[in-house]
Amino acid sequence: MIYLRLFLSFMKIGFCSFGGMTMIPVINDEVLKYGWMTSAEVMDIVAVAEMTPGSLGINCATFVGLRTAGLSGALCASFGVMMPSLTLSMAAAHFILRLKGNRLLEKAMEGVRPASMGMLVATAVTLGISTFIGEGGVSWNLALISLIAGAALIKGKLSIPKTILIAGALGLILG
Amino acid sequence: MKKGKRLLLIFVIMAKIGLFTFGGGWSIIAQMQNEFVDRRGWMTEEQLVDYMSLAKSFPGVMIINMSVFCGYAMEGPVGAFFAAVGLSLPALAAIAVVTYFYSSLRGNIYVAKILNGIRSVVVPIIISACLRLRKTAIRGKLAWWVLVASFLACVLTGLNKALIVLAGLVAGLLLGKGESSDDLS
Repeated sequence: MIYLRLFLSFMKIGFCSFGGMTMIPVINDEVLKYGWMTSAEVMDIVAVAEMTPGSLGINCATFVGLRTAGLSGALCASFGVMMPSLTLSMAAAHFILRLKGNRLLEKAMEGVRPASMGMLVATAVTLGISTFIGEGGVSWNLALISLIAGAALIKGKLSIPKTILIAGALGLILG
Repeated sequence: MKKGKRLLLIFVIMAKIGLFTFGGGWSIIAQMQNEFVDRRGWMTEEQLVDYMSLAKSFPGVMIINMSVFCGYAMEGPVGAFFAAVGLSLPALAAIAVVTYFYSSLRGNIYVAKILNGIRSVVVPIIISACLRLRKTAIRGKLAWWVLVASFLACVLTGLNKALIVLAGLVAGLLLGKGESSDDLS
């Protein structure tokens, strides 16, 4: 039963990874094991995932599911990869709401909140380096797009969807 | 607002957010802040920051975790389900289209240019989230130390994000004041 197999495989992928690129090796193992795709096609996943909105995990699941068993396959694989969120995170969400206002939790969160801000700042920095500094030095055109669209977003209070559309248009001219 | 209407709205808003989430998913934070905290007041900024750390610490896809936490806070388990499915739907549609046209899209220079433009704006989107959330996340000296430590750990080491959050949690338990947000100056 291909649908069940896809669901279980991607559930395993979900539980074994923490999103993003860490999923690729696990996905690679699973799809090669069942002969769903070749190694070269796995590399295509990354390219397709970058072309489309959404996270790498969902995009990979959809892509593999679609290739192997059509739309139903895509749905099964997507629900598989969503399982950790729908079980573990769901349970955690329940408990954290019940503990709201608890003094120990408040204390703990005083450390957790800045820790997650640190991660967010670090993401901006590492992503910035990989986006704007390529093999041939600094990509000034991309930095310029980032500056213009960023100013429209932060100073001009433009909404994020509009900012993304503008960035795409600027990319067409300058990219 | 009626429960059913709010569920539907959560679904639609999450689908919109999903459509505009590029580059690793962190830009979802800024979008959720905008839609659920600023515009509608269905969540607090504290909740958003708390869930961000939890979403990253739990296995699975970070943005799906994030939508489950936020959906749950707004409308319970059903809200969590609607939020997660709503977020994933645009990806499903987009992948179907891109897969179909993949061979012609792959070599297309205009597609590459547009994607370059979109990729460039992900960094300012994340920065805008940092700017908006900083007052909520950083209160007092301890917070600054934790932030710098967490930043350095992320940039310099490949440490698992869950461990970084755990370290922050321990630091908060040992050194935090435990005052509610209102009586801090």
